[in-house]
Amino acid sequence: MAEVVRAEQLTKNYGLNRGIVDVDFTVEAGEVFGYLGPNGAGKSTTIRLLLDLIRPSRGRLTIFGLDSRRDGVEIRKRLGYLPGDLRLYDRMTGRDLLEYFAHLRGARGRGAEIAARLDLDLDRTIKELSRGNRQKVGIVQAFMHDPDLIVLDEPTSGLDPLVQETFYELVAEATARGGTVFLSSHVLSEVQHMADRVGLIREGRLDLVDSVENLRAAFMHVEATFAQPPPSDAFEGVAGVRRVEQDGEVVRFAFEGEIDPLLKALAQFHVKALDVREADLEDVFLARYRGEEPDAP
Amino acid sequence: MLRNVALKSLRDIRRGFLWWSLGLAGFVALIVSVWPTVHSNPSLNKLAQDYPEALQAFIAFGGAVDYSSPAGYLGIELFSLMVPLLLLVAAIGTGAGTIAGEEERGTLELLLANPVSRTRIVLEKTLALVAEIAGLGVVLWLALWVGALLADMDISAGHLAAATVTAVLLAIAYGTIAILLGAATGRRTVAIGLTAAAAVAAYLVNGLAPLVHALEVPQKLSPFYHYAAGDPLRQGLSLTHVGVLVAIAVVATALAPYFFSRRDVAT
Repeated sequence: MAEVVRAEQLTKNYGLNRGIVDVDFTVEAGEVFGYLGPNGAGKSTTIRLLLDLIRPSRGRLTIFGLDSRRDGVEIRKRLGYLPGDLRLYDRMTGRDLLEYFAHLRGARGRGAEIAARLDLDLDRTIKELSRGNRQKVGIVQAFMHDPDLIVLDEPTSGLDPLVQETFYELVAEATARGGTVFLSSHVLSEVQHMADRVGLIREGRLDLVDSVENLRAAFMHVEATFAQPPPSDAFEGVAGVRRVEQDGEVVRFAFEGEIDPLLKALAQFHVKALDVREADLEDVFLARYRGEEPDAP
Repeated sequence: MLRNVALKSLRDIRRGFLWWSLGLAGFVALIVSVWPTVHSNPSLNKLAQDYPEALQAFIAFGGAVDYSSPAGYLGIELFSLMVPLLLLVAAIGTGAGTIAGEEERGTLELLLANPVSRTRIVLEKTLALVAEIAGLGVVLWLALWVGALLADMDISAGHLAAATVTAVLLAIAYGTIAILLGAATGRRTVAIGLTAAAAVAAYLVNGLAPLVHALEVPQKLSPFYHYAAGDPLRQGLSLTHVGVLVAIAVVATALAPYFFSRRDVAT
């Protein structure tokens, strides 16, 4: 597969404890790359580098094989962007805003069609729109010209569940026709739903890059319901258990490897129900980074 | 009006332009309407010519203080202070709002996500500023011309145009400086504050120069000197002085994309 984005030792120094350090990753054509991390970890910094809003202190960033800085205009012809902190021209109507951007792109696009799918009224001024409806305007302008790369920063914030579904469809359609999506989010369920691979950034460093499938396969999620709440230290030190979360009679485990040691430990108590399934990304990350920081993903 | 950044920028200021036009025209009408009274009262001219030299240097535009001719009167009442002041306020406001304003409102991020270079954005926004101020110049000139006809002032449309063009170029020079500072810093208040301070300083240097020997050389650097020194209401357009004002605008416009393209855009 062709590389759409390549970051090599990408570094941005911002003041203390901000920015990113030596970030390496590639995003392949046609995939959804989930970019995860706590707030302030460097997600937005990376995205702003992709958009050439800020310039790397060190390292290289190429998009479509072009230099992010020198060939910014060429790159942005084929790029759609939904900012995390979306600010639109308050006094323009949605229609005017889309028309303006369509002119700047030199392409009519299919803004009206996407707006209709999202049930967005384009004749109101941005000022009159609710947060969710503004977000829809942001989505329309990011998708309307069928870009080869779509960069989305917390795309579903403010959207109701029905609209979220339509948004997922838009992403699926984009990748189906060969488009690539760079999705930054801290909503793990959403990333799990959409992404093929994820990169996790923490404190400015890219901690891991792997496929969602591999990550989830590494752990199992076990939920046991007991007749009596077991003592809180009952499952300490059981081999393979990476995380325990107790909620009265219900205890949830994330574990890796063979299930036998856990089963033996469970059998000491009266088990009423047992559910074993593949771990969610949330289990995976909580298991990996438990106790390290309160706002870990 | 949404075809490009320049037209969109003009569209944004369309309401403001209307109010500025009404204000300018109304102010001109007021001043011109007083002319017959001033004209029929020669003692006023005598009084003004007895003013201290320091004051005369500030209130006259180009030549000497003279309330007896339309050119002298319009120079004192309009062109020495109020016309450049109003045009400068409009130009600096637009100039500072252009890059820094969008950056502070956060709309610059999405604008820059389009395939438009930063250089092009600065240049198109500069074009919009020039169009706005030139438009105000046309309104000003029309108001002066019609007013002069109605008040039976003996002054040519050409000389009124020369003074208006000079004032417009002075305002554009400061407007482009405000664009430059806004593009370089991303902060509207900095752009407004520094440009306004520079304008006040240049105005004072030019006004005080006849009294303070040490200011003779700095005066030549003041845009206000080049604005008034050609005495456009009596002498017509001075290409030398107008050339300096244009040069300032050209240099500021050339530097703005350079600084804007090199820096990070604020979140």
